[in-house]
This record gives sequence, C-alpha cells and structure tokens, in this order.
Amino acid sequence: MLELREVDVAVGKRKILSNINMVVKPRELHVVLGPNGSGKTSLLNAVMGIKPYEVIKGSIIFEGSDITQEPPHVKARKGVVVAYQIPPPIKGLVAGRFAEELMRRFNVESSYAEVLSEVLEVRDLLSKYLFDKMSGGEKKRLETFLTLLTKPKVALLDEPDSGVDVESLNRMSEALKVALSKGTSMVLVTHSLHMLRLLRDHITSVHVLYGGTVVHSGLYDEVVPSIERYGFSGALTQLARMG
Amino acid sequence: MDRETLLKALNKPSPYGPDVDLSRFNVGLAGEGVLEEGEVDKISSRLGLGSGLLRKADYLQVNESVLSKFMREKLTERGAVVLPTSEALKKLDWVREYSWRLVKPDTDKYTAATKLYGNELGFFIYVPPGIKIKDPIYTCLFITRKEYAQLLHNIVVVDDGAELNLVTGCGVPDQPLGSLHVGISEYYVGRGSKLTYTMIHAWAPDMVVRPRTVVKVGEGGEYVSYYVIYSSVESLQTYPKVYLGEGAKATLNSIVVGDGKSVYDVGSAIVLEGKDSAGEILSRNLGRGSSLIYARSRIEGRAGPSRGHIECLGLIEGDNAIIESLPEISSSSPEAVLTHEAAIGKISEDLISYLLSKGFSEEEARAAIVKGFLNIEEPKLPQQVREVIKRTIEYIASKAVG
Ligand SMILES: Nc1ncnc2c1ncn2[C@@H]1O[C@H](COP(=O)(O)OP(=O)(O)O)[C@@H](O)[C@H]1O
Ligand SMILES: [Mg+2]
Repeated sequence: MLELREVDVAVGKRKILSNINMVVKPRELHVVLGPNGSGKTSLLNAVMGIKPYEVIKGSIIFEGSDITQEPPHVKARKGVVVAYQIPPPIKGLVAGRFAEELMRRFNVESSYAEVLSEVLEVRDLLSKYLFDKMSGGEKKRLETFLTLLTKPKVALLDEPDSGVDVESLNRMSEALKVALSKGTSMVLVTHSLHMLRLLRDHITSVHVLYGGTVVHSGLYDEVVPSIERYGFSGALTQLARMG
Repeated sequence: MDRETLLKALNKPSPYGPDVDLSRFNVGLAGEGVLEEGEVDKISSRLGLGSGLLRKADYLQVNESVLSKFMREKLTERGAVVLPTSEALKKLDWVREYSWRLVKPDTDKYTAATKLYGNELGFFIYVPPGIKIKDPIYTCLFITRKEYAQLLHNIVVVDDGAELNLVTGCGVPDQPLGSLHVGISEYYVGRGSKLTYTMIHAWAPDMVVRPRTVVKVGEGGEYVSYYVIYSSVESLQTYPKVYLGEGAKATLNSIVVGDGKSVYDVGSAIVLEGKDSAGEILSRNLGRGSSLIYARSRIEGRAGPSRGHIECLGLIEGDNAIIESLPEISSSSPEAVLTHEAAIGKISEDLISYLLSKGFSEEEARAAIVKGFLNIEEPKLPQQVREVIKRTIEYIASKAVG
C-alpha cells in the first residue's frame, strides 16, 4: 500500500538519509528505532512532504501511484497522515472545533471519535486551544487522537510515547490497537520498550535506523530481546554492526 | 460652553490620526435620509447582522433620519427608554445632566462640529435601577449619502444594579461615498450594573471615521466592549476611555483588520480610579494590503490595590502593511499591578505545515490561523452577539491571503 523505494532525504543541502526501502501493507505495524538524530523525524516528515524535509531521490508509491512530489494536504486526503513529534501551539483555534472539522472533512462517524477520545482521555483537552498550555504528554495524546481521528490508511507516528507516563503509554498503545483493528496501518517511531511489549502481537517489522540508513529490518523477536539485554543504544550499535 | 469657543475648536486637530478638512463634508438636514429596505439589508449583512434588520433593530438611523417606529415597545414596558437624543433632551430634563459631561464639546474639531451641527441626533438609552435586559438591543447607524457628515451624539445610562447588552452596527453600502462619521458616546454604568457594548464597523475606502467614547463605571459595575472593524477606510481614529470606580471591572476587546490603503488609529484606555478595580485590554490587529494600523492602549493606575493588563497582538499578511503597537502603562499608586504584552509577526510556516499535514490546503490553513488569531473569546457577551461576531470573523478569515 505504501512503499518507499530507494529514498534519499535532505534538509536544505544536507543529506540526512539514503536508500530507505520499506513496504507497508494494510493493517501492518512497522516500528522504526534509532538513536537521537538518526533521522526518524526526517523520514516521516519527508514522506509527508513537510518543509524543509525533502525526498531528493527515489520514490514514494501509495496505492499504486507515485505520490513523491504531492503536497502534504493531498497526501493527507489520500490517507497518509503524520502525527508530529512536537506539534505547534495554535492560539485561538479550539481543539474540539478542530477535531469536529477533521471529522467532517474525513467523514468520520462520531462513535469512532468517542472511542478514541475515551481511550486517549482527551475530553478535557478539547476545550483548550490546540496544543496551547498543555504538558508534553497532553500534547502527545491530543496529537495522536487528532491523527487517528482522520482514519488514515497509513499513520506515521513520531514518538507518541516521549514524555508520557506509564498509564498514558498503556492508553496510547490501546488507541493504536483500536486504529489497527479499524484498518489503519502504521509506521511508529518510538523509544519505549514498554510500548513495544504492549504492541508485540501487532508488530510486523522493526527497522533500525543508524548512520543515515536502515541497517536492520527484522521481526520483533530478533530485535527487541537484544534491546532488553543491552539497552537501547547498546543493542542498536550491535545491530548496526551486524548489518 | 459659548459658541465662540466651539467655533474656535472647529480648527483643533486631534492629537491622533491624520487631520481632516471638515469643509469637505456637508452637514445634513434633520429628517433627511431615505429608507430603502434593500439598501439597509446590504449594509446589515456586511455587519454580520443578517437581513430583516428593519424588523429587528431597536434604533435605526439612516443619515439624519431616525426610523423611530422600529423602537421596541417591549423595552418601554420595562421602564427602559430608547429615544433619539434630541427628543430625550426635549422630553426629559434630567437627561441634560448626562449630556456633554464625559466628552467635552471643545475636545477637538469633531466633537465641536457635532455639538454645533449635529442636532443632537443619535440614540439615548436609559435602563432603570435593577432592570436587567438580557436580550441584545440593536442600534444601527448607516450612511448612504455622499460627502456628508453624520454627527451623532449617543448617551447610555444603565442605572444601579441594571444590565444592558448593546450592539451597534455602523456602516455604509460597499460603494464610494466620501462621507464622515462622528459618534460621540457617553456611557454611564451605575453601581453594580453591567453594560456590554459590541460595535461592528463596515465602511468604504473613502470614509473618514472619528468616534469619541468615554465611559464611567460606578462602584462594582462592569463594562465589556467588543469592537470589530474590518473594512477599508480613508482613515479611522478612536481612543475610547473608561473610568473605573471602586471594585469596578472593564474588558476592552478590539479587532482591527486593516485593508487597502487605510489608516487606522485605534486605542483603548482604562483609568483605574477606585481601589479593587480591574481592567484588561485585548487587541488583535491584522494588517493586509498597504494598510497602516496604530494600536494604542493605555492603563493608568490611580488607586490600589488594582490590576491592569494589556495584550496587544499584530499579524501582518503580505509585504506592505504596517502595524505600530503602542502599549502604555502608567501608575501613581504603588499597589496597582500593571502588565502588558505585545507581539507582531507574520503567520508562522510551522503552523501552516502542521495544518497541511492534517489535510488543510494552504489557503484553508491560513484562514484557520487568521480565524484563531482574531478569535478573542468573550464569554460575557450574550450568545446571539457572539454568533454575530463569529460570522463576521469567519467572513474576514475567508479572505486570508499570503
Ligand atoms: N528542520 C531541520 N533543519 C535542519 N536540520 C534538521 C532539521 N530537522 C532535523 N535536522 C537534522 O537532521 C538530522 C536528523 O534529525 P531528526 O530527523 O530530527 O532525528 P530523530 O528524529 O531521529 O531524532 C539531525 O542531524 C538534525 O540536526
Ligand atoms: Mg525525532
């Protein structure tokens, strides 16, 4: 459904990623791991087409057609939606009204919104301005809510776990499962071992990003136990060496 | 005040805004002004007031002609008075005590001209003690005549413990007139009373607009204003001033959307005269086209403890608009706590990108951001009035550009 073919990504003149390949099929959950600065955000944003991230080589194929150069809103309308790692506050724009607007645009039934808002506990956040005066965790829950609310065919989730407490991690994982069961595929960037364990049964493949490229793609059981043993950075270095 | 002083004041420019030669305009004759329903509807829909205003307005004045038959009897039943100021001054002696008290006739050429040639046209509203009129009262002041000076004098008295929600729409059809609008407004908010005042302006690129407003709020009273101006003008200058007594509160909201080659000089001032008084000034200024906006605001603390806060934000669309933000705080009381924040910028690319990623086109994203920027929520206004403001802001936002 979504396929990255030999994709290179740059920010301005600086090349950040090279030769990224990935095939995401319906209802699949792909996890991207990598140390800070390895280019995870660059990858998701370049797929979305958000400035200043740019695909300078290769192509992005979605449902059979090349969408590499499509503007982000066209991709979003086709069903590829990114959840920001750090969404910007938009004063004056009430979160609840924005959510309603998304539901209208993406033709989403209110029962689905109810379930998501219940699981992610965003009700209190909906009366605030978008990402204004919210804690890190609140922003994450709201951004995940809004992204999944569009019922994307592929959701690109950029560290929905960071700054989130354990209780909220459970809810976040629960929400992802709800969306998966409704047919949303996902590319999930995360640093949370806890979340990986919770999602274990749903994970199709784990991709390790290191030194500007994917050094390893494998099943949960090939990657996660070594993280459990050596810690995140230790395991990633080791996997990088193994290739 | 003798006539000679007033005639001299006719040459006295205002310290703010471009000076205007008043001889450009003709003064009107009482009773002048034609009522054409289509025309009135056109203006009222520009103001977000919808059609059918002739049946809805409590006071409608087109040019010099007051359509008094539209004054609502319901109000009169509750002891409230809605009259043209001239009639109120004739019929009720006590009205004189409120006339030209807060605004001195020789303040500048516009006040002098109104005193000399205005025939005391404009609206007078009185709400008796303890009477709370929740349904908004609509007063509308329209101009359809060319090169004409509409000189109005409005007086509002909300007696002790009373409440009034006033909405004023001022406008012209969207066509050249080259006219002048001056509105002298003297508002008295009694002890423990509440007045909300929403004013929406829609003018034309060759209009000169000079409202003069002074408000006095008694002990424990509250005044909330909400001003929206979104059309082009030749120039518009106003600097309403609110005096707060002990425990009184005021919030002054203003939204100025500059367009064309217009000059706007819009201020808000609050004087904290009584202890425990509190004032807030919120202003949003959107510069489009080659417009020039001066956003003035001033809070004076003369008694304490008291509080005052100014929030003045500017957003510039395009390359040619200019916004000058001039927040001032001044205190002669050690217990007055006064703060201000001011910022001017353009629409942030980050916000646009974010909305793009959620399926908004660039145009839709700009509109949504502008709408958010202009959105000052004022829960103290009646729901119907908030709806009017919402429609107006949606209309403005839909015209967002790069
Ligand atoms: N907006 C940007 N402008 C310039 N450089 C950037 C930008 N975003 C990311 N980079 C650079 O790209 C590299 C990868 O960053 P990023 O994609 O944010 O990594 P990750 O999400 O894995 O932590 C880093 O070296 C970072 O400095
Ligand atoms: Mg990142």
